[in-house]
Amino acid sequence: MTGAPGDPRTQLGRLLEDDPADLYENAPMGYLSALPDGRIVKVNRTFGAWTGRSSEEMLGVRFQDLLTIGGRVFHETHVLPLLRMQGAVREIALDVVRVDGSVLPCLMNAVEVRDDEGTPLLLRATLFEATARRRYERELLSAQRAAEESEARSRTVQRVVSDLAAATTVADVAAVVVERGREALGARGAALVLVEEGPTEDVPRLHTEHAAGLPEVLLHELREAALGQLALELAQGVRTVTLDDRLRAERPEIAGAMADGGVASLVLVPVAADSRRLGVLVLGLGDIGQGDLISLDEPGAVHVTGPADVELLWTLGRQAGQALERARLYEETARQAERSAFLLEAARLLASAADVAETVERLATLAVARLADLCAIDLATEHGVDRAVVRHRDPALQVFADELRQRQLAQRRSPHPAQQALNKRQTVWLPVLDEELLRQITVDDRHLEITRELQLVSMISVPFVVEGRALGVITLVADAARGRFTAADVEVAEQLGLQMALVLAKAQRYELDVHTSHALQANLLPPHPPEVAGLRMAVRYLAATHGVEVGGDFYDVVPLSDQQVALAVGDVVGHDITAAATMGQLTSVYRALLVDRPAPSAMIDRLQASWSLLGLQRMATALFATLDPATGQLRIASAGHLAPLLLTGGSAEFLPVTPSRMLGAPPAPAPALEWAGVLPAGATLVLFTDGLVESRSADIDEGLAHLLAAVEAAGTTDPDELCDRLLAVMTGTHRADDIALLVLTRTG
Amino acid sequence: MGSVLTRNCVTVSGVPSGRPMVFAHGFGCDQAMWRFVAPDFEVDHRVVLFDHVGAGRSDLSAYDPGKYGSLRGYASDIVEICRALDLRDVVLVGHSVSAMIGVLALQEAPELFGALVMVGPNPRYVNDGDYVGGFSRADIAGLLDALDSNHLGWSTQMAPVIMGNHPENPELAEELTNSFCRTDPDIARQFARVTFLSDNRADLAAVAVPTLVMQCSEDVIAPDVVGRYVHANVPGSTFTQLKAVGHVPHLSAPEETTAAIRAFLAG
Repeated sequence: MTGAPGDPRTQLGRLLEDDPADLYENAPMGYLSALPDGRIVKVNRTFGAWTGRSSEEMLGVRFQDLLTIGGRVFHETHVLPLLRMQGAVREIALDVVRVDGSVLPCLMNAVEVRDDEGTPLLLRATLFEATARRRYERELLSAQRAAEESEARSRTVQRVVSDLAAATTVADVAAVVVERGREALGARGAALVLVEEGPTEDVPRLHTEHAAGLPEVLLHELREAALGQLALELAQGVRTVTLDDRLRAERPEIAGAMADGGVASLVLVPVAADSRRLGVLVLGLGDIGQGDLISLDEPGAVHVTGPADVELLWTLGRQAGQALERARLYEETARQAERSAFLLEAARLLASAADVAETVERLATLAVARLADLCAIDLATEHGVDRAVVRHRDPALQVFADELRQRQLAQRRSPHPAQQALNKRQTVWLPVLDEELLRQITVDDRHLEITRELQLVSMISVPFVVEGRALGVITLVADAARGRFTAADVEVAEQLGLQMALVLAKAQRYELDVHTSHALQANLLPPHPPEVAGLRMAVRYLAATHGVEVGGDFYDVVPLSDQQVALAVGDVVGHDITAAATMGQLTSVYRALLVDRPAPSAMIDRLQASWSLLGLQRMATALFATLDPATGQLRIASAGHLAPLLLTGGSAEFLPVTPSRMLGAPPAPAPALEWAGVLPAGATLVLFTDGLVESRSADIDEGLAHLLAAVEAAGTTDPDELCDRLLAVMTGTHRADDIALLVLTRTG
Repeated sequence: MGSVLTRNCVTVSGVPSGRPMVFAHGFGCDQAMWRFVAPDFEVDHRVVLFDHVGAGRSDLSAYDPGKYGSLRGYASDIVEICRALDLRDVVLVGHSVSAMIGVLALQEAPELFGALVMVGPNPRYVNDGDYVGGFSRADIAGLLDALDSNHLGWSTQMAPVIMGNHPENPELAEELTNSFCRTDPDIARQFARVTFLSDNRADLAAVAVPTLVMQCSEDVIAPDVVGRYVHANVPGSTFTQLKAVGHVPHLSAPEETTAAIRAFLAG
């Protein structure tokens, strides 16, 4: 049964009966036979066409030489051994290189034809084009790798986020960022470099917050290099710096440090929160990270950080920035609270100190308890700057502080921050004390040695400024363990300086006033009453112990020409220099008036009459008396003053002197009254100011009764002894007012 | 020490009192590579075969990327095997990368070894200045890529079989065509990196035992110039040029290989 020529079955029949040679040559696969050493002895046309060669050209060529290098090695190390051992291989992926250099991905099956003794005779191989399949496999592989990487990246981000959430301090945050960043990129090392809070300068200072695996010398060089162009660096986003010829030429120090540290490239990741640039995460990448293996990158080739890596690092930088801000806020809040408590404590302590010496002691003690490791306070005096106190936190190290105290600030031109602060009347903050600075600010070798011994790293000097004058300066120093002073520390130190300035200002005024008043009063009072026949006398003047409350108390004893004696005790209103000055004037006028020998009441009237003319600013109370020691004739007049006390035969009484108005008060319509009587021989007269009876008791009547009892209880008529007894009984160690006391006993 | 022998799937044969010969296979296969050569030595030597960790029937769980990130990790294993078997005056036969691993094993424990046979050695595959190793960096990158291609196919097809299941699926067992030289794909990748990216030129000068450098013809992996280099740098070494073509003479020309080794050992 044969069909017509056009019959499809006829065509099929012819094709099926086609000769094997044609089938071989034009089979839809490559087919080749080779000797055991790979030399091709027969190859079909299909394979020739695929590779762009004729069959004849390929004869004698070793099959493996048609492959890519990778294919050749795989053929030698895998295919041939397998063929030898198991006689066949299947589905081996090999890349055949076409004449034009392009690559034809193939899958190969092969068998080894052997003789009876098993010696290989021939290699038969079929090759299938597998472009699509191989592409698919590659895509599968790369998709799988990408998925793995993407998963690893999101794991990294997740871990970073959760680690950062747990980090409360800046140090914690830095440790997390450095560790995770390093992991994410398989970096040799990493460091977080932060812009330092510090005195405002054009060029921000940088410090390494945390580093791992990067040599310090490299970090140092980077910080140096970043100065001045930090903003630029940060603005550039994630950036890679590669150790290449250009870097070697332009930045030999960095290139050298990178080479020494085995770092082939650096990746710089900005760390920012919102628009605030906080610092840079530096990642140092080594060669492949495979130990001592050869790098597959050509020497000097640029390390490519993929977009996914950049994205990851960018995220890391932003997460780090936010965590840093949060940690700083947290730390700042904690510090604020601590600071407020500290300043409150300081205010309390400073306010309760009795004098400047005690205040600086307390201040120094407080400072080293909370704020610094070493505290020195220098005070400006008339004779220059005096180092009032130097205190160390650790009592065991106080011996060094004592040595430092010996080292007064050298001269006004000294670069020492304390001197600078005094000169400029401004805070001087040295965040970092390096060797060179220390050398400048120390005065001798031992000084320098001590600063090293104490490992001092940071310094603040705050002047005590009052009305534009620097009264002193407090210098706080931190050691290596405490670390550098921050802007917040400076703030506290300044608050402390302010408080101290106020205390100093007050104390200085106060001490000046006290000094002046007391000097004035002491000068105005007669040093000691003169000897008068028939009388034994004692006087006491006690200034108030508390503050500048200098009174205008006075006493006066003047022997008159007619053997009489004029006595006076008085008290000018007020407790200040004006009171003392008024008292001085009053006693002068009184003495001038004595020339005319007026009676005590007349003395009061005359003083009253001339008070406005004298221009005396304060009112006063006073007792004026005349006494004839021979007869005991006594006349007393009071201008609003407390009556004197008479002690006769062991019994005491207040003389009933009727007081007229105080001196300086509007004059009374009637003349002053006078008490007249006799002071018996052996009797004692006690004249005093209110300070004596008001010292212990606010109630004056109580005080007077107390005095009466005290005089009787004293059991003596010796004026000196009685004075001492009365003062001992009537006054304590603290006197709010001054006291004038005049005691006389008529011996005659 | 039993764990060492299991870990490296050590097999011992031949004459127990004979001089020990330890055969170390190279990259790409396992101890089966020595099947045509080892029997010849079994008549008068104590023959020790083993698989590097990650190859053949070694204990895959013993693979530690840190340890095996350098050829020294593999060298330590050889030393451990020799010690576990209490071998002395060992003839160490190393093929390809194992020739260099042998050099490092000698460095680690010189007292164990009496001779070194280097089959197709290459101390550094990547060209470096005047030094010719036979490959550019791009070649090696392509090679690592090519290996990945085959290991992808291998891993997807073979993994279930290696895991030892599917007795109910006989057709899967039939798929197990390339039954020798199995390697875990991830370990193979690492081993390839370590093999082709190592530089052991500086270690050659320290070899202090009689050494045979066997150079194949038309060996793309260890070209003649490299064999000459190794010979020149291993003090007092013997150089034998084989007619055998390719990189695995112990498979393609076992008689010539055996004869060369015997001649060296007799000399």
